[in-house]
Amino acid sequence: MAQERAKMPVVNITNDRLKKFVPGVKVDKVLDILPFVALDIEGVDSNVIRVEYNPNRPDFSSDYGIARALRGLLGIETGMPKFKVASKSGQAIRVDPAVKKIRPCIVALVAKNGRLDDETIKQLIAMQEDLHNGVGRRRKKASIGIHNLDAISFPIIYKAAGSDYSFVPLGESSSMTIGQILKESEIGKQYGHILDKFDRYPVIVDSAGTTLSFPPIINGDITKVDTKCRNLFVEVTATDQKAAEDVLAIIAVTLQDAGFEIRTVSIGNREMPQMRPNQIAADINYINGILGLDLDARQMIMCLKKSRLDAKTRGSKIICTIPRYRTDITHSIDIAEEVAIGYGIYNLEPTFPASTTAGQKNLLSTYFEAIRETMTGLGMLESLNFSLTSKEVQYDSFGIKASDMLSVDGSKSIEHEILRESLIPSLLQSLSRNVHEEYPQRLFEIGKTFRKNGEIAESWNVAAVVAHGEAGYTEIKSAIQALLKTCFGKDATTKAASSPFFMSGRCAEITVEGKTVGMIGEVTPPALERFKLRVPVAGFEINLSALTGA
Amino acid sequence: MSAGSPALHPIEKAILKALSTNDPQSAVDLSTGTGLEMDQVRRGIEWLKFKDFISVNELSASRVFLANEGAVTKNNGLPERRLVNAVKEGKNTIAEVLASGVIKNEEVNAAIAGARRNQWIQLVEGKMIATTLAEKQSPEEVFLARLDSEGTDITKLTDEEKRTLDQLKKRPNYIEVKEEKETKISLTDAGRMLLPTLKEEINAERRLTTDLITSGKWKETKFSALDVEAPAPAAYPGRRHPLVDIIEEVKEIFVGLGFEEIDGPMVQSGFWNFDALFTPQDHPAREMQDTFYVSGQKQEIPASNDQIKKISSIHKRGWGREWDAEEAKRMVLRTHTTPVTLQHLAKIKPESGRFFSVGRVFRNEKVSYKHLVEFHQVEGVATAPNASLRDLMGLQKEFYAKMGIKKIKFWPTFFPYTEPSLQSMVYNEKLEKWVELFGMGIFRPEVTQPLGIKNPVLAWGGGLERIAMLRFGLDDVRELYSNRLAWLRSVPRCQL
Repeated sequence: MAQERAKMPVVNITNDRLKKFVPGVKVDKVLDILPFVALDIEGVDSNVIRVEYNPNRPDFSSDYGIARALRGLLGIETGMPKFKVASKSGQAIRVDPAVKKIRPCIVALVAKNGRLDDETIKQLIAMQEDLHNGVGRRRKKASIGIHNLDAISFPIIYKAAGSDYSFVPLGESSSMTIGQILKESEIGKQYGHILDKFDRYPVIVDSAGTTLSFPPIINGDITKVDTKCRNLFVEVTATDQKAAEDVLAIIAVTLQDAGFEIRTVSIGNREMPQMRPNQIAADINYINGILGLDLDARQMIMCLKKSRLDAKTRGSKIICTIPRYRTDITHSIDIAEEVAIGYGIYNLEPTFPASTTAGQKNLLSTYFEAIRETMTGLGMLESLNFSLTSKEVQYDSFGIKASDMLSVDGSKSIEHEILRESLIPSLLQSLSRNVHEEYPQRLFEIGKTFRKNGEIAESWNVAAVVAHGEAGYTEIKSAIQALLKTCFGKDATTKAASSPFFMSGRCAEITVEGKTVGMIGEVTPPALERFKLRVPVAGFEINLSALTGA
Repeated sequence: MSAGSPALHPIEKAILKALSTNDPQSAVDLSTGTGLEMDQVRRGIEWLKFKDFISVNELSASRVFLANEGAVTKNNGLPERRLVNAVKEGKNTIAEVLASGVIKNEEVNAAIAGARRNQWIQLVEGKMIATTLAEKQSPEEVFLARLDSEGTDITKLTDEEKRTLDQLKKRPNYIEVKEEKETKISLTDAGRMLLPTLKEEINAERRLTTDLITSGKWKETKFSALDVEAPAPAAYPGRRHPLVDIIEEVKEIFVGLGFEEIDGPMVQSGFWNFDALFTPQDHPAREMQDTFYVSGQKQEIPASNDQIKKISSIHKRGWGREWDAEEAKRMVLRTHTTPVTLQHLAKIKPESGRFFSVGRVFRNEKVSYKHLVEFHQVEGVATAPNASLRDLMGLQKEFYAKMGIKKIKFWPTFFPYTEPSLQSMVYNEKLEKWVELFGMGIFRPEVTQPLGIKNPVLAWGGGLERIAMLRFGLDDVRELYSNRLAWLRSVPRCQL
């Protein structure tokens, strides 16, 4: 199970707005219930609750969306929220085929007769940002422009323009060309890469020639939204029609909750937004089986209504009606989760299924245990180092010219840029961190090593180092002999060899039954110097996978 | 020496002997008296003090010293002395005395007052005459005469002398009083009781040797008792890494719950790490910012054509976009152990079964006190024909109970490849708060169906380092991989 939830988006809910959303419910009660609609409380201060939501729920990108779920689980308002399209706006967007290759999709809506206060505007902007980053994949897949409707003359055209096309971008006082915006403005530098491949750029222009937007980079200044706006025009451009419609549906329901009347906009003979709910049928027994419950249809429908869905029975099935903005529900298994949430996770009693099989560790674990016992019996301390290390530690310190190293792309740290091929350098690094500690120091490690061998070959290795005034070849040879004899009943033999880690004449291959399984020797003085070590060090490393076949 | 009496180090014996003849003494005195080095004396004092044979007292004493003016006066005489000497020489009026220069103008008042106090002069018809008392030294003169550079201990002064001191203090810059601290070592009652046995000790053997044993000389040898209470040098045993202790503990728990261990490569194809787990190809977790890709490494997808076909079509259907086989070929450092679990399930397609793994996983993070690029993940899966979410919660509860965690609760959450998904919160007694531990869920049908896995698969897992941090009280996760000997040697194997 991965921890995918490291970077979750956050919504701020003020206590004032909360009072309106869930009248008469104490803040403490809200804090108790939020986790049970899958919202994490990131922080609370005197007037604001900061709530983290999972990226599968883009409808939680404003406090309106969170309020919808809260009202359901608290029983204030259950079932699917009513969505009403007031009428067609009668307005249209014409799409120039030139945008097909660049950013083909556009959808839009008109929202009339609403009121915007500062907090509502804040919520809308935060929602827009979250949708850009989530569903919109950092604007690449979809991006949103919110405009003052009253500054626009319809019809609108969505077309492609050259880099010398100019308009006054949002927040600027004078006209800039698209080329300038991409090169000079912060926002252009941040998102310009999305349009890198193109020499024509998408623009949305009204019938008076006013530029509304240069998606997905920036809006025009002229349609800027402020608290005086009563009427809005919202467009979503995208590379993917489904993403565009998903985003628009969330915006539509949010603006309706904010008090606007939603009117459709015609795009290529289709009226947008499309808010028709989806239907999914789920077997009652299937849901009960998955959850480990025994609910009847009526109870199950009640649970679904608390999750803000509508449902009815048809035979042994529940037919569930899913509002357009719940883009996360695609399968009957999702219905099961909605039932569980509506039922209240806190009401689910854990049941322990008795085991019918005996458990077992694998062979490798058994080997590791034997090795650990033997090595610690020899007075060695176990180290744990990272598989990802630096070229410096793994190769440069020993003057190795690495031709076949395995590196990773885009590591955020030069200490973790290649996969280690050997454990000895890591152990020397560990010794290096302990030069102020008492000697003798004896360390061992069991770890994966990686090698490019056509494909990537992984093997489990065991390595050890001894460091003290008298440390030398004999001591470490005694150790490897003891290890192989005690753990595997094998005799180790050593055959003179050379290695970049070890001094020539004090280095050998370790062979078992004629097969080379590792190297042993005294670490070279230049390497000791690199690792700032002032005592002699001897070490070995064996390839456990080669030895055992595990 | 009687049985049960403590054995003493030679240094201790030397100090006790020195104190037996002269008590108390300072450490310096003891060093001079015993011929021991100062650091030996200091160590001996610490040991004996610990055993209660000596007491170390810090005495603070005020000492009186001559100040500048006092030192000059000690040579030249007090103003009243100079006055009376002048009178004896026939200078009968103040004017005459001043004219002779033996006292200065500013000393006149002090001189007259002092001479009167001592009754050294009388006024006869307006002229000063010295009395016989002037032959005697005044108390102040006596006091000044005995002050030397060593100073004088104020506590040893008589009441009379103290009054004289007060008098002298009134004269500007005559006298200086300094606070001095002095450490004195003296025998305690227990220490004094040891003295008679000390002599006997000196002739005893310290070591039982092979020669003494084989020759039989041990029979007539008297062995000195060793100082069994003295500190011994630290020994550092070889030991497993503390994190490995936890890994082993977790493995034991899994085995006890009937789980079989599985293991697999750390470098995985994008196919098994992401695609088979229904993670869309444009999911942010698949970007280089979050995930390590092995540079330039693509491999043929290690799956059957049927598996690839089914998984690609489920992506097309579920995510409404084309599925790119090239993306699935990119080799990635596994971001979780789930691809290993899944490949095992796909291979054996069990009707029911329980499997676990503990292994390293990788994330392209900025390393900090709470993030590593590489950490251990524990994962358990259980599949059975009627496996349910409540069973998953029950397994989890049992698992935690075996780790000593009793208070837990579950919250809904989201993972791309499980549904329903829960996160577990456990109550940490030390921190007195709820902390998030393992995530869990039931594999989505989009994950199990293409691979021919029929029954629900309950899965849970999470990072082990987090548990280790709680257990070992660490604030910085990097400590677990620092290999600092000081830390490795300090962590107790068992938590009492």
